[in-house]
Amino acid sequence: MTQAADTTYLEISRIFDAPRELVYRAFVDPDQLSEWFGPAGFSVPRESVDIDARVGGRKRFVMAKDENPADGHEINATFTEVIENEVLDSEGFVGTEGLRLQLRIELYDEPGGKTRLELRQGPYTPEFKTDAARGWESSFTKLDALLKLA
Amino acid sequence: MAAQATAEDRLSVIFGALADPTRRAILARLADGDATVTQLTEPFSISMPAISRHLKVLERAGLISRSRSGQWLSSTLEAAPLKEATDWMEQYRRYWDENFDRLDAHLRRIQAKPPRDGGQTTERTGQ
Repeated sequence: MTQAADTTYLEISRIFDAPRELVYRAFVDPDQLSEWFGPAGFSVPRESVDIDARVGGRKRFVMAKDENPADGHEINATFTEVIENEVLDSEGFVGTEGLRLQLRIELYDEPGGKTRLELRQGPYTPEFKTDAARGWESSFTKLDALLKLA
Repeated sequence: MAAQATAEDRLSVIFGALADPTRRAILARLADGDATVTQLTEPFSISMPAISRHLKVLERAGLISRSRSGQWLSSTLEAAPLKEATDWMEQYRRYWDENFDRLDAHLRRIQAKPPRDGGQTTERTGQ
């Protein structure tokens, strides 16, 4: 895979102690997504979540800041490949500034009823370095501060 | 802030330089040690002038430095800018790591399993 060396893509692999079907549901079931999604200091209001997990279907939700729910990021994506319990590939925009990112999630069985999740997101290209990206950075800075308080 | 804008611009130049597969391959080769243009041309099926152009882009981004050793111009990998670029990506990695910590907890909850890592079992006595 030539793309493996592509430094403009973020790649994360992680194992969850749950069967593939459950991990998959956590991404496509709006009730579940609103329960877990978002880094510390953010939450996803249930009413903002709209997920239609099929090719061409939408994925929309808002990541609202706990401190100030009016301040948040809107995720607005379209599914480009969907294989139930295996693959969720979407292309979408973060915020209203039109930053386009591809997000691919692949699920694999691991021994003991566990699941390995492979995430690939990008490209983090120069055009991505805009005011909005700076906005992200500032929220991470705030996140750092929150974590230090904790 | 001027300082921040400069840092952003520099990152843009670094990411621009990294956006090309040949240039990434050159950096990977230089990670094994310094090399001349001739040595760098060998593994790639492109001309020496083309390699030179790639080296100029990498040098402008600060990803390599070039020095004369004898009659040859030798390229050296510079790690600092590469680290700056990966640090930026790391913020996004952290974002996902935190997300996945919460997913992990969520999956445990819906499966109603006791925590696997020892020492935290006392927290669950009330449930």
